[in-house]
Amino acid sequence: MSRIIVITSGKGGVGKTTVTANLGAAIANLGRSVALVDADFGLRNLDLLLGLENRVVFTAVDAIAGECRLQQALVKDKRQGGLALLPAAQNRNKEAVTAQQMKELSLELSEKYDYVIVDSPAGIEVGFQNAITAAQEAIIVTTPEVAAVRDADRVVGLLEANGIKRIHLIVNRMKAEMVQLNEMMSVEDILEILAVSLIGIIPDDQRVVVSSNRGEPLILADKVSLPGMAFNNIARRLEGDKVRFLDLMASQDNLINRFRRWFR
Amino acid sequence: MSSDSAQQSPLSDFSSTPSSVDEDLQVYLKPEGEKIRLSLPRSTQRSGSTDWSEVWQQLKHRLNGSDRSWQPGTTVHLSAKDRLLDGRQLQAIADALEEVQLQLGRIDTSRRQTAVAAATAGYSVEQHSPIAPLSTSTSEAAPQWSQPLYLQTNVRSGVDVRHSGTVIILGDLNPGGTVIAAGDILIWGRLRGIAHAGAQGNRGCRIMALRMEPTQLRIADAVAKAPETPPAQVDPEVAYIAPQGIRLTKGIDFFKTHSFSAEEGGWTDL
Repeated sequence: MSRIIVITSGKGGVGKTTVTANLGAAIANLGRSVALVDADFGLRNLDLLLGLENRVVFTAVDAIAGECRLQQALVKDKRQGGLALLPAAQNRNKEAVTAQQMKELSLELSEKYDYVIVDSPAGIEVGFQNAITAAQEAIIVTTPEVAAVRDADRVVGLLEANGIKRIHLIVNRMKAEMVQLNEMMSVEDILEILAVSLIGIIPDDQRVVVSSNRGEPLILADKVSLPGMAFNNIARRLEGDKVRFLDLMASQDNLINRFRRWFR
Repeated sequence: MSSDSAQQSPLSDFSSTPSSVDEDLQVYLKPEGEKIRLSLPRSTQRSGSTDWSEVWQQLKHRLNGSDRSWQPGTTVHLSAKDRLLDGRQLQAIADALEEVQLQLGRIDTSRRQTAVAAATAGYSVEQHSPIAPLSTSTSEAAPQWSQPLYLQTNVRSGVDVRHSGTVIILGDLNPGGTVIAAGDILIWGRLRGIAHAGAQGNRGCRIMALRMEPTQLRIADAVAKAPETPPAQVDPEVAYIAPQGIRLTKGIDFFKTHSFSAEEGGWTDL
């Protein structure tokens, strides 16, 4: 039974596309077949992050219009057998497809792939509505900022209204040292508001930016970094494994910080 | 009195018109004898699709939150008012009701197209002339409170709960969410959004929460914002109007230590 998962956030710039690319690569790395669908028509990025830009010939809009077969529009990642991308059209806007067409597209992909992961555009307008239409599950991406959590809360409400009950949360760009000093919302603060199940915490790390710019998912690096491990763990949790959360505070647990905490 | 916490909330009059708790603006589920009446808000001037998605979100929110407040298999009468519903939307409503074990029975509408769509789908239909519902919904007597609205749900950002009576919420009122009630508001959870009790001007209404961390509290025509520095207080609290403005106190002794005085226009210590 394949799973259709939408990745969404409400607020822009919190890392939806980065999460989609890296999570897709991590699931494929576990031996599953994964189709990534870029639902951000008019502002496509997912191909860049996966390093597949120069191999895009047809897009989802071409497949919907019947100008090519769906299989032709899918770009298969040569580095990882199980991973394929359905790129969005860059020259169209969000109204180019309807919810019904998106649904049929996702369902068709779900016949061939174990996972169909839809990268939703920011906002809660028509692009978002199209992206969630076929999904059975959702992953909410948020950063430890008040505005991002507020928007995520709104989106959780909308997902619930659309009958999507399985909602997972990824907290992106967590800075352990700032949480330690009480300058940033902690994961507990976020969970208190959103009340959905946590599936992963991604530390703030320069290597994420480097990997995005190079178009090489973190999981493919020779030496897997801490954020790469975080994505790997999320993939395993989606598969149903019980994996402990990475202790991002470990590096902060030195003598000076302990003293600081005592005197606070 | 010492139990009045140190949260001296700045008070300002907001002399705008009282917030509307008009039932024509929200989705309502009301028991009527053996049946339940599902009443949809009147249609607005805005474009049809956004309007429908808002109604849909409210409907799902109400259905999910009101779970278990009816017998399985209860029949629902839908009063669609002047709203245009097509066959697909009626089917969506019927499916949503079925999910919570309710059954769509009759549809009341003042629109011919809706009536046709409903009849085509096989429901019994009652079509009113457009003026009829106005005369039935307005009562000449003083405004009467509806039965309490009881919701087991989190009120999330962007959700607006309005009710012409008391509202009881089992769950949190999150920042960005709003509850407006003609009566009291009782939040069995964290109150972090905006709560407005006594929205039709009743100064005796109170707001109660297990954990009071509001963005803003309003009672009748008074407004208070939360203190800049959150207090260490974690007890359940009651917000009420004292002669000096909105005050907070521990919930546990409120009713023993306070009484409402109409001359003072608020609650006073005994």
